[in-house]
Amino acid sequence: MPTATAKRITIDPITRIEGHLRIDVEVDQGKVNKAWASSTMFRGIERILLGRDPREAWLFTQRFCGVCTTVHALASVRAVEDALDLPIPINAQYIRNLILIAHAMHDHIVHFYHLSALDWVDVTQVLKADPVKASSIAESLSDWRNNSAKEMAAVKARVKGLVDSGQLGPFAHGYWGHPAMKLPPEVNLIAVAHYLQALEYQRYANQVVAMLGGKTPHIQNVAVGGVANAINLESEAALNLDRLYQMKSLLDKVVSFVQNVYVPDVCAVAGFYPDWFNYGAGVTNYLSVPDLPLDERSTKFDLPGGFIPNGDLSKFHPITGQKDAYWRKAVTEDSEHAWYKGGGPLHPWKGETDPEYTDWKEDGKYSWVKAPRFEGQPAQVGPLANVLAGYASGNPLMVKWTDAALSKISAIAKIKATPAMLHSTLGRHGARAVRTAVLSELAVKHWQLLTDNITKGDTTIFNQPSFPKGQIEGVGFHEAPRGTLSHWVVIDNGAIKNYQAVVPTTWNASPRDSKGTSGPYEASLIGNPIADPQHPLEVLRTVHSFDPCMACAVHMFDPTGQNVAKVKVL
Amino acid sequence: MKTAIYGIGNILLGDDGVGPAVARYLSLNTSLGPDVTIEDLGTPSLDLPNYMTEYDLIIFVDAVAAADATPGTVRLYSREEIVAAPTGIHISPHEPTINDALIVLDFAGTAPKDVLLVGVVPQTLEGGMTLSPSVAGAVPRAAGTVLAELGKRSYAS
Repeated sequence: MPTATAKRITIDPITRIEGHLRIDVEVDQGKVNKAWASSTMFRGIERILLGRDPREAWLFTQRFCGVCTTVHALASVRAVEDALDLPIPINAQYIRNLILIAHAMHDHIVHFYHLSALDWVDVTQVLKADPVKASSIAESLSDWRNNSAKEMAAVKARVKGLVDSGQLGPFAHGYWGHPAMKLPPEVNLIAVAHYLQALEYQRYANQVVAMLGGKTPHIQNVAVGGVANAINLESEAALNLDRLYQMKSLLDKVVSFVQNVYVPDVCAVAGFYPDWFNYGAGVTNYLSVPDLPLDERSTKFDLPGGFIPNGDLSKFHPITGQKDAYWRKAVTEDSEHAWYKGGGPLHPWKGETDPEYTDWKEDGKYSWVKAPRFEGQPAQVGPLANVLAGYASGNPLMVKWTDAALSKISAIAKIKATPAMLHSTLGRHGARAVRTAVLSELAVKHWQLLTDNITKGDTTIFNQPSFPKGQIEGVGFHEAPRGTLSHWVVIDNGAIKNYQAVVPTTWNASPRDSKGTSGPYEASLIGNPIADPQHPLEVLRTVHSFDPCMACAVHMFDPTGQNVAKVKVL
Repeated sequence: MKTAIYGIGNILLGDDGVGPAVARYLSLNTSLGPDVTIEDLGTPSLDLPNYMTEYDLIIFVDAVAAADATPGTVRLYSREEIVAAPTGIHISPHEPTINDALIVLDFAGTAPKDVLLVGVVPQTLEGGMTLSPSVAGAVPRAAGTVLAELGKRSYAS
């Protein structure tokens, strides 16, 4: 029972017209004891697809989300190809894989440096940092060449200029001086230096997506049946060796940044906040799907996936591909606590999206997000789920980078960091860095596979789809930066009859289901310490560690600032 | 002078698609030469800085919240007004907006100097791929505002 001192905190980003993610927590005696995650905007945009040509669905689905355009394009074509049982030329698989890898590296870097690092880094402390000492700490962590004392001094001067101007620019909303901030001044300086470098290096990854996709953010090269990238080593207009090597040089820069900057930085932050290995586990059922297919029928993959119940890696159940009956049957969505008619659970092919808004009711319906379930249970998705699947299945790259990160954290924190500690807020950040490092190696591998196949003389990129009479069903999945994404399509006489996208954030931001079981965000917040209810930094740390992304963002500029996140304490 | 005209917004969500609609209108009805890029950028949020560093002038076209104006009203905002709009704590990468992108690039020292926002007040942001009549009627006017600003900087349509 809450005591008389229990406080309710609401973090509600949006007020008047639309909304994304709202978090409510009840804090008692300095700890969270209840939590609710709610999406405040109806997302029934799959309905736009009904009756359309399945070959065009990807053009619409990549508009679901402005940050994850490519992932929705690829999941969509995979769903239609699955329904048609259509194999994909190997060149097309490699080209898609390179797009997915480049996008994911870009996305993971941006997430850490530009969305969540400021939960751990106190920018105002930078003014107290000694650039020479910062440089020597950074150089002890890796041999990255942009860690000189001169570089650190220049960044310190830049921060001083910002502070002297009376505004903190991009850092204006950090919880500066918060008692939960623990990094030494020099580590704060290193983090800000790398924040700026990350702006540059993530862009190289984005340029690779643009080179293969035609442009970004909306790629143009995808097709049901393959890709539209003409390959011709003799033509300047086509994918040729010159372009491949331009791409390689961009990839090499990103690979180096990931391995020499991002991974060491995450280990350093983790090393200074070892307490945060104790908070934020939440739902420890983990779901990920295999990705980066290596054959035309997508039966072999470079990234493993599967289901882990209750954090027990020995019970890992692999998912072998989109055709795996275990996977196809296990996914349902429940709308008992979501603003839709009926309660479910329903399989996505039978999914319904009929809104029934009731206002925010703590024991009733309180979110526009449905509750996805795997074999009836909530599941956490994201890089941690993917890395644990890799660790459980003995994937060599996943094991190598996980062990390397744990030993680096052990050295910095002077503790014995173990894989069991990954079930936590910090574990999600660590796993995202590990996954990015794995992807950085696979970027080079898939670039080589594509280049070798092309120089061998194979220029095939497309298999023509043809639609049968009658009804067919398909699922396309993708292990996206935020976790397992699946598009479920029912096609009738060549037209879309039903379409449901079960997006990663739906798994993680899931409300309670008909059994009353909480979703991952909600469960992960329980027990988090709250030092200052007016400044609930700890809630942001845990929620940000999932990398929330409410699909189908509305974008609207608000000169009055009414649509800005507000913290309300009752 | 390298220039970008960017339509911002989600084409699947009613009048939020007005920015992309203006970009499309300008692509179809003008020829501004190789120095002017016209693009529907969708809702790039945290990725927006990636599209901003190589230009001298950027004109954004976006839906804007304005409680005192009727749907379809077109308003022009200066760089100072954009940067002055309050930002907040961001929970998801969707929330950062044009002002956040400019603030980040100002700190990095790579921000474009000349930035404008042509805003159109929406009527509805509910799911759907058509603009409401008042907002559809504003598309040529918003495009005209863009062209007038280019003209002031010695561009002719």
